[in-house]
Amino acid sequence: MSDALLTVDSLSAFYGEAQALRDVSLDVAAGEVVTLVGRNGAGKTTLLRSIMGLHKGTRGSVTLDGTSLDGKSADKRARLGLGWVPDDRGIYATLTVAENLALPPVVDKAAAWSLEQIYEQFPVLHERRDFPGTKLSGGEQQMLAMARPLRAGSRLLLLDEPSEGLAPVIVNQIGQIIRDIKAQGVAVLLVEQNVKFASTVADRHNLLAQGEVVESLDNAEFQTRTTDLLEHLGM
Amino acid sequence: MTQFLQYTLQGLAAGGFYALAALGLAVIFGVLGVVNFSHGACYMLGAMISALLLQHFGLGFWPALVIVPVIMFVIGVLVERLLVQWLLKLDPLYNFLLTFGLTLLTVDIMKRQFGVSSLKYEVPAGLTGRVSFGSVDLSVYQMFAAAFAVLVCLAVWMILTKTRVGMIVRAATEDPERSRALGINVARWVTPVFGFGIALAGLSGVLAAPYRAINADMGTNFIIILFAIVVIGGLGSILGAVVAGFLVGLVEAYGQGYYGQLSQVLIFVLMAAVVLIRPAGLFGREEAA
Amino acid sequence: MRHTKMISLAALVASSGLVLSACGSSAGGGPSSDGGKISDDKVVLGLLNDQSGVYKDLSGPNSKVAIQMAIDDYKAKYGDKAVAKKIEIVMADHQNKPDIANSKAQEMYDRDKADIILDVPTSSAGLAVATQAKAKKKVYINIGAGTTALTGAQCNKYTFHWAYDTAMLAAGTAGGIVEGGGKNWSIVYPDYAFGQDMNKSFTAAVEKADGKVQQSIATPFPNDNFATFITKAESSKPDVMGIMAAGGDLVNFVKQFNQAGLQGKTQLAVGLMFITDIHSLGVDQFQGTQFTDAWYWNFDDQNRKWADRFQEKTQTRPSFAHAGNYSAALNYLEAIQAAGTDDADAVVKELEGKKINDVFLRNGEVRAADHNVTHDVYLAEVKSKAEVKEDWDYEKIVKTIPAANAYAAPSGTCTM
Repeated sequence: MSDALLTVDSLSAFYGEAQALRDVSLDVAAGEVVTLVGRNGAGKTTLLRSIMGLHKGTRGSVTLDGTSLDGKSADKRARLGLGWVPDDRGIYATLTVAENLALPPVVDKAAAWSLEQIYEQFPVLHERRDFPGTKLSGGEQQMLAMARPLRAGSRLLLLDEPSEGLAPVIVNQIGQIIRDIKAQGVAVLLVEQNVKFASTVADRHNLLAQGEVVESLDNAEFQTRTTDLLEHLGM
Repeated sequence: MTQFLQYTLQGLAAGGFYALAALGLAVIFGVLGVVNFSHGACYMLGAMISALLLQHFGLGFWPALVIVPVIMFVIGVLVERLLVQWLLKLDPLYNFLLTFGLTLLTVDIMKRQFGVSSLKYEVPAGLTGRVSFGSVDLSVYQMFAAAFAVLVCLAVWMILTKTRVGMIVRAATEDPERSRALGINVARWVTPVFGFGIALAGLSGVLAAPYRAINADMGTNFIIILFAIVVIGGLGSILGAVVAGFLVGLVEAYGQGYYGQLSQVLIFVLMAAVVLIRPAGLFGREEAA
Repeated sequence: MRHTKMISLAALVASSGLVLSACGSSAGGGPSSDGGKISDDKVVLGLLNDQSGVYKDLSGPNSKVAIQMAIDDYKAKYGDKAVAKKIEIVMADHQNKPDIANSKAQEMYDRDKADIILDVPTSSAGLAVATQAKAKKKVYINIGAGTTALTGAQCNKYTFHWAYDTAMLAAGTAGGIVEGGGKNWSIVYPDYAFGQDMNKSFTAAVEKADGKVQQSIATPFPNDNFATFITKAESSKPDVMGIMAAGGDLVNFVKQFNQAGLQGKTQLAVGLMFITDIHSLGVDQFQGTQFTDAWYWNFDDQNRKWADRFQEKTQTRPSFAHAGNYSAALNYLEAIQAAGTDDADAVVKELEGKKINDVFLRNGEVRAADHNVTHDVYLAEVKSKAEVKEDWDYEKIVKTIPAANAYAAPSGTCTM
C-alpha cells in the first residue's frame, strides 16, 4: 500500500459513549475513485468528517501521502490537500459564486485549476459568477462545491452524496465531472447511496455497515453482485 | 412640514451614530457567535478614556479618535485571548454571561475609580455651531458625528465586500466549521475580529463624548437600544445593523416629536413587529435564527 | 392647632404604653430608667446616605465631617455643662435603594442604638426611613431627599425635613424667573414619579407667578438622546426651557441643549441641580443656567468662614447638604441640651416651632404642623468661566427668596 495517497488505519469514532465507526481501514491511490456505500446511519459521513478532522472523538490514524494527519486541525488538513465537498454542498450565501471559488487558499500551485479551466469545465459558474452562491440551482451548487477544491489544487476530494436530490440528467453530468476530475489525476473518496451511480464512476467500493467495512471489492465484482450486496446491506 | 423635516434630519443624525455603535456588535456576533453584552460598557470606556486623555494628557477629541480605538482593540484582544476563547465551544449563553459579568465589573470599577458624576468634555473647536439646510438646521457636531459614523460603516463595508480578508470574515461568519474544512484558519481571524468589534464600540464612545453624559452608567441604557437594533437588523448582519440603526434613529426622533415619552417604547414595538414578521430580522438569514 | 396637639398628646400617651410593654422583654432600646436623661449614656448620630453612587459627592462621607463639626461646636459651647457627654457617629451606605435604606435604618436604631438618623438622599429611600422612625419612635432629620411627601401624606411626629423639597425648588426657580421676566415656559420632564411631581410643582409655580407653561413634554427615563425633544420644546419660542431631569440625563440634556445653539438664547432653568453637577461638568456647559440652591458656601462671610473650616478637613468646598447636615446635627444636640434628655418625644417637642438662624438656616423655622423646616433660599445662576475666581466659585445669587415665598403652607395631608 505504499503507493496509497490516503490511508485510513483502524479508525474508530465515537459520539459520547456510542461508537459510530469500528476499526475502519481503507486506502485511496492517487487518481483513484473509491466509494463508501452503505445505508443511512452506517457511518459514511462520520468517516468523511473524521478524515477531514471535523469529528472530535476519534481513534486510529489517517495518513495523506506519507504525512500523518492525526491531531491536525481541519484547516491544516485542507491545506495539505484534502478537498471538502459536504453533502449540503456548503455554498456560502453571503459570497458570490466567484468568491466561493476564490475562498479556499491554493494548496498546490501546480495542481490548482486556473479560473479559466474552472469556467471552461463549468460554464454555468462563469455565467453566474456574480450571483450569491445559494441563488444557484441544486445541481449548479454541487458543481460549485466540487469546483472549489479543484481551484485550490486539492489532491483528494471527500465527496459526500453528490447525486442526492438531483434530476437524473444532472446526476449524469456530475458523473462525467467525476470522471474528468479523475482524468486530471485527482483522487476521490465518494460517499454514495445511489449504487447505480457509484458503479458508473468508481474503481473500488467499500461496503459500510454499522460503522464497519464489511466488504471491499472492485467495480467489476461490485456490478455483478449489486443486487445481492444491496440486500446484504439492507438497502 | 418643517417640523417633520427637522425631526427626520435629527433622526438620520442619531441613526448614523447608532449604526456605528451596533456595527461592532453585529461583527462580533457574526464571526464568533458571541452576543457581546459588554458592548455598552466598551462604549462607556471609549468615552471615559477620551475624557481621561483630555484631563490627564491634554489630548483632545482628534487624537482620541485614533488612540481610543487602538486601546480598545488591545483590550478586546486580551479579553478574547484570556476569557472569551475558552467558552466559544460551549453554548453561546456562557459567553453572554461572561460579557454580562465583565460589564458589571467594568462599570463598578469605573464608578469606584471615577465616581458617578459625569466627566468634562467639550465639543471640539471647529465643530461648534449650527448648519442650516433651508428651513431646517442641525448642530455641526451632530452632523459631523453622523457623517463620520457613516464613513466608518462604509469603510467596514468595503473591507468586508471588496477584500480577501472581508471575504474570509464573511465566510467564517456564515459557517466557521465549513470554512475550516476549506482550509481557512478561522481561529486566526477570531481574535482580531473581536478586537475590531470592541474598537468600534470604543470609537462610538469617542463620538458620543461631546454630546452625551460621560459616566460609568452611560452604556447601561445604551446597550438595550443596541440590542434592539441588531435584532431588528438581523443578528450578525452588518448591513442589517446599519439599516436598523437609521431606522431606530428615525423612529426615536418621530417618537420624540409626536409621541413624547413613548419614543423608546416605539423602538421596541418596531422590534417586536420585525421579530413577529421576520424572526431572523430584516437582513438575517432564516437558518441563523 | 390645639386639636392636633391634643391628638398627638393622646397618641403619645397611648404609644408610650406600647413602648413600655414592648421593652419588657429586651434589656436595651427603651429610655433608661434614671429619670430619662441620656439613653445608653451616649448620643449616637446615624448618618445614612449614598457613599458610593450618584450623591456621594453631594453629601456622602464628607457629611460625617460636617456632623463632627457640629459635635465639636456643641462641646465647645457647653463644655462641662453639656447634657450629651459622649457623642458618637455611625455611618452607612444605602446605595439610594429604599430596601437597603429600610434595613440599614432598622440596624442603626436597634443595633447601633442610634438616637437620630440624618440625611438619606433619594426620595424613596428617605420615605422608607421615615416609616422606620415612626415605628421605632426615634428622631429622623432628612436633608438629602426632595419629596414633599415627607411633610405631607407620609409625615410623622419623629420626621423632620431640613433643607429643601420639590415645591420649594419650583417656587424658587419658577417664581424667581417669571418675576424676572421669563413668562413663557416649555417644560421637559422625565416620565416617572419624580419628574411628574416636578412638572406639576413647576407648572403651578409658573402659573401662580402669572407666567404661562406653553408645553409640558414627557420623556422616557432614562434617556440619552434629547435632540428632538429640545427641538419640540423650542418650537413654541419660549422665554424659558425648564428641564426636570437629574444626574446623567440632565447632563445629556444640557450638552444637547447647548449644541442646539440655545445657550444664551433661551433661558435654561433646571428643576433639581446641585453645585456638584456644575463642578463635574464644568461651568461652560451650564453657564447662564438658573436653579434654586438651598445654601451656597460663598454667599456671605458667615458661610465662607464655615466653608473654610470644612475645606481644612476635606480639601473641598461644602455643598448645601454638608451644611444642612451640620445644622441639623447641631440643632438636634441643642434640643437635647434644652430638654435635658435625648428622649425622642422630648427632643421633638423642643424642635417643634423653633425659630433658627444659623450658618445654614436664615429666617429658619421648624414648622410644628408638618415638620418642614422653612428658610430663605436662593435663585442662583451659573457663572461664566471668566467670572469664576477660584475652585467651586460657580454661582451668582440672582435673588434671595424669603422663606414665606419659597415654601407652600402645610398641605393639610399631614396628620401626625
